[in-house]
Amino acid sequence: MCKVWLPRKQYGVLVCLTITLVALALGGGVTRQASAQGGGTLMGRLEGPRVISDRERFPSQYQEAPALADLVQQGKLPPVQERIGSDPLVIEPVREIGNYGGIWRRGFSGPADFWNGYRCCGHDRILFWDYTGNIVVPNVAKGWEISEGGRVFTIFLRRGMKWSDGHPFTADDFMFWYEDIYQHDELVPTKAPILAIDDKPGRMEKVDDSTIRFVFSQPYYVFLDMLAGATAVGGHSYQGRSLMGGFAPRHYLQQFHPRYVGQEAVDQLVKAAGYDNWASFMRYINDWSLNPDLPTVTAWQTTSPINTPIWVLERNPYFYMVDSAGNQLPYIDKVVLTLAENLEVLNLRAIAGEYHYQSRHIDISKLPVFLENQRRGNYTVSLDPADSGCDACLFFNQTYDADPEIATWLQNRDFRIALSHGMDREQLNEAFWLGLGTSGSQVLAESSPYNPGPEYRTMHSTYDPQRANQMLDALGLTRKDSQGYRLRTDGKGRLRLEMTTVGGQFLQFTQIAEMIREQWGKIGIQADVNEIERSLAITRVGANELQIHLWQNDGTEHPFTFPAHLFPFSPSGLGGSNIGPLWSRWFRTNGVQGREPTAPMKKLMALWKQGFTVPDAQRIEIGKEIWRVAVEQQWALGTVGLSPAGMGVRIVSNRLGNSPGRQYNSPDGMTPAPSRPETFFFK
Amino acid sequence: MFGYILRRLLIAMGTVWMISMIAFAIIQLPPGDYVTSYIAQLMATGTLVTQEEAENLRIQYGLHQPLYAQYARWVWLMMQGNFGVSMEWQRPVLEVIGDRLLLTALLAFAAVIFTWILAIPIGIYSAVRQYSIGDYIFTFIGFIGLAVPSFLLALVVMYLTFAYFGASIGGLFSTEYLDAPWSLARVWDLCKHLWVPALILGTAGTAQLVRILRANLLDELRKPYVVTARAKGLSELRTILKYPVRVALNPFISTIGYTLPFLVSGSIIVSIVLSLPTVGPLLLKALIAQDMFLAGTIVLLLGLMTVIGTLISDILLVWIDPRIRLEE
Repeated sequence: MCKVWLPRKQYGVLVCLTITLVALALGGGVTRQASAQGGGTLMGRLEGPRVISDRERFPSQYQEAPALADLVQQGKLPPVQERIGSDPLVIEPVREIGNYGGIWRRGFSGPADFWNGYRCCGHDRILFWDYTGNIVVPNVAKGWEISEGGRVFTIFLRRGMKWSDGHPFTADDFMFWYEDIYQHDELVPTKAPILAIDDKPGRMEKVDDSTIRFVFSQPYYVFLDMLAGATAVGGHSYQGRSLMGGFAPRHYLQQFHPRYVGQEAVDQLVKAAGYDNWASFMRYINDWSLNPDLPTVTAWQTTSPINTPIWVLERNPYFYMVDSAGNQLPYIDKVVLTLAENLEVLNLRAIAGEYHYQSRHIDISKLPVFLENQRRGNYTVSLDPADSGCDACLFFNQTYDADPEIATWLQNRDFRIALSHGMDREQLNEAFWLGLGTSGSQVLAESSPYNPGPEYRTMHSTYDPQRANQMLDALGLTRKDSQGYRLRTDGKGRLRLEMTTVGGQFLQFTQIAEMIREQWGKIGIQADVNEIERSLAITRVGANELQIHLWQNDGTEHPFTFPAHLFPFSPSGLGGSNIGPLWSRWFRTNGVQGREPTAPMKKLMALWKQGFTVPDAQRIEIGKEIWRVAVEQQWALGTVGLSPAGMGVRIVSNRLGNSPGRQYNSPDGMTPAPSRPETFFFK
Repeated sequence: MFGYILRRLLIAMGTVWMISMIAFAIIQLPPGDYVTSYIAQLMATGTLVTQEEAENLRIQYGLHQPLYAQYARWVWLMMQGNFGVSMEWQRPVLEVIGDRLLLTALLAFAAVIFTWILAIPIGIYSAVRQYSIGDYIFTFIGFIGLAVPSFLLALVVMYLTFAYFGASIGGLFSTEYLDAPWSLARVWDLCKHLWVPALILGTAGTAQLVRILRANLLDELRKPYVVTARAKGLSELRTILKYPVRVALNPFISTIGYTLPFLVSGSIIVSIVLSLPTVGPLLLKALIAQDMFLAGTIVLLLGLMTVIGTLISDILLVWIDPRIRLEE
């Protein structure tokens, strides 16, 4: 049993036992049933709510939740018209106009699981992605204008929009963030590179109360995507905890800022709260998930913070979105996230139907059990395959130098391609993805504008052991030992590659690597699999010590806002950093430190930088070219991707309405945010 | 006696200080720091932390300072009665632990009571009726209890509650009482949930206790004073309870020292499996996340409890058994 249900992370044994117990009790052979049921029926059509921009179609009257209407009656709340203002964001729900009320139950794993509540209930990006994840649409801001050749971005805010405490939301909140938070070196010691182009920082200016603009010295067309993506200006709820975000509630925060109340008063506040420095205190005060007093512009606001056993979010009476019939959103009154001390318990609770909508932490390897219990738990399982091409990539360190012979082979493109042909991806897909993934290179989904063409999916990425053997022989690795493994060319015995894995969140990288090891054995390549702890992996990647490292390439479908796994963008991290830790240092320091990359990588890096400065149409071409280089070079070997393994197994209560058939699944889009959970409702 | 206690207290303080240093050093031993494990956690769930954000966090938490400086800062804060703010929970460490301490102690207490209520009568019965059918049955069950790891039992119980009772899985409260203020209804809800983990935690302890009590009592029962008591015509019940059982209980007093830290940390694995809001899972998470202040404080607390517990059992022993003399 445990062969099929591979254990994960530190509680390997426990996990295996739980699953075995549950699976045994629910009847054997569930795996086969799952593959029979899998595929078509579970994956619906990509769909989602739309933003209505035509003012003609705007509703003329607004309605509100009954509880809020009562408060208006009692005179405790202004009328809904006043609360929303004159420029609402009008959303056409994916299926129907909903009813008010209900509690949405979810599970979360503790105070580090911020993204759980943020993704479902907190997005307040200045701009945002539509449901396809490819088009930028208005969000907190109602519109934008790009002028002076892509150097000036004028952002139009909503007139009459309010913070959740009723205070007006204006350009001053942006300027307060920019001048008193972002530019304050104690609060933000290291500035965000995305607010600079060509290393020259841009600036934010107030035009009038409902208009601001970002001004850059160079063209910076992709900045629009930055305002929509998961970046340092990705909104107050997302980034407030690191004090970036683009805006912040000035009227609330100034009582904690020395510029407004003096150093002495602030020192006293910090001390009384038990913090040893002001910056830490401010990060707490401005944290959407921790401080119930913090005004927000999100659909729900925290009332019981994330560091308690239940994280509760309640409706924001001043929320600026309405549905196409004029009902103020959100429909659901309250979101309750219950702490699960371990993910097995969370999954069991989901199986028991205790959650109304959950894909975070849902384990794809338990899919058969989820399907078995659909009727009993009164939920439906849907799959949301990701647009990223590879859930378990083999990242080859191009700057490895501890062993010159190994380094030579890792850097040899033909060697990498030969290894790629030595992998039976279909076997991996069946064993670890239940056949739900797509095998091939690491290239992104064909639905993405940056996809260079269908042929790149299979390029250098088919199973062809004969060809692999020929290529390896041609490289001079002809001598083998008695067990059939190829020998090093420097006479120091067998050629041994090391694959380093870490405990994955969604897939069992170590077991995947073990299977690849077996497959490579057939082409005479010895690979050793070494699992280490995640922090240790980050440290060792940074120290340039790893040869081949397994990790997912999630987010790469947005190569400009989420480049981490496409090329060595960050010197210490998992995945993409291991393409060349020294190259990333070179990239970061503009060639002062690190090692100069090879010509193809230099080309890719230059293209990536160039992509920021050109209009959309050109950038898409550049994005395709970047992908061409990446796939042709095979610095990272793809295995199986475009799968629902990463948060793509969605458990939705049959009582919940407006859940799409299939949704865009991505870290940059903070799924399910593009499905606008504000429009979910209880039937 | 007073001098002895004072001397022991002074040594205890030194021990606790040593524990604080060792605890801090050990927590720092794994590679990376809180920020690295934070980045790793985020990357695993599809979130990118930029290099700039990481740097800002390191500066904020003082992680860019050398180890001794970080230790000095921690000790300095503690001397002011401030145990720091947990990096992961973003709350003062004492609050984070305090929330869970009551429930942890309650659970451990319930487990200990359960163990004693069950183990003492069975232990006595098994010794007095040695090799009877009952003794064999209890011995058999006892060995199974000893051999089955408590987390496995927890998994089985969890599955059974899921499959047959449809009860909410894990935890100590129903959802509606999770964050409710204390009331009679909430206490009742807690009682409804508490017996399961108490039973699981208590089972292994029960088996062990039965075996110890049985062995001790068997030794005592054969001693001449028991024969004398019987010869004098004392009722059987009184004979056994009044003398041999009291003596047989003696070893438990010397293990009170271990009960105190148990009250704090409970059983980590069972708590994790059953998703109990106790200190155990908190410690594990803090260690994984390298949340130094939180992990350090819990380890320190455990050390402190062990030191105090040992002191108490030493004093109790001296008090109860006059044959034990203090070394001057």
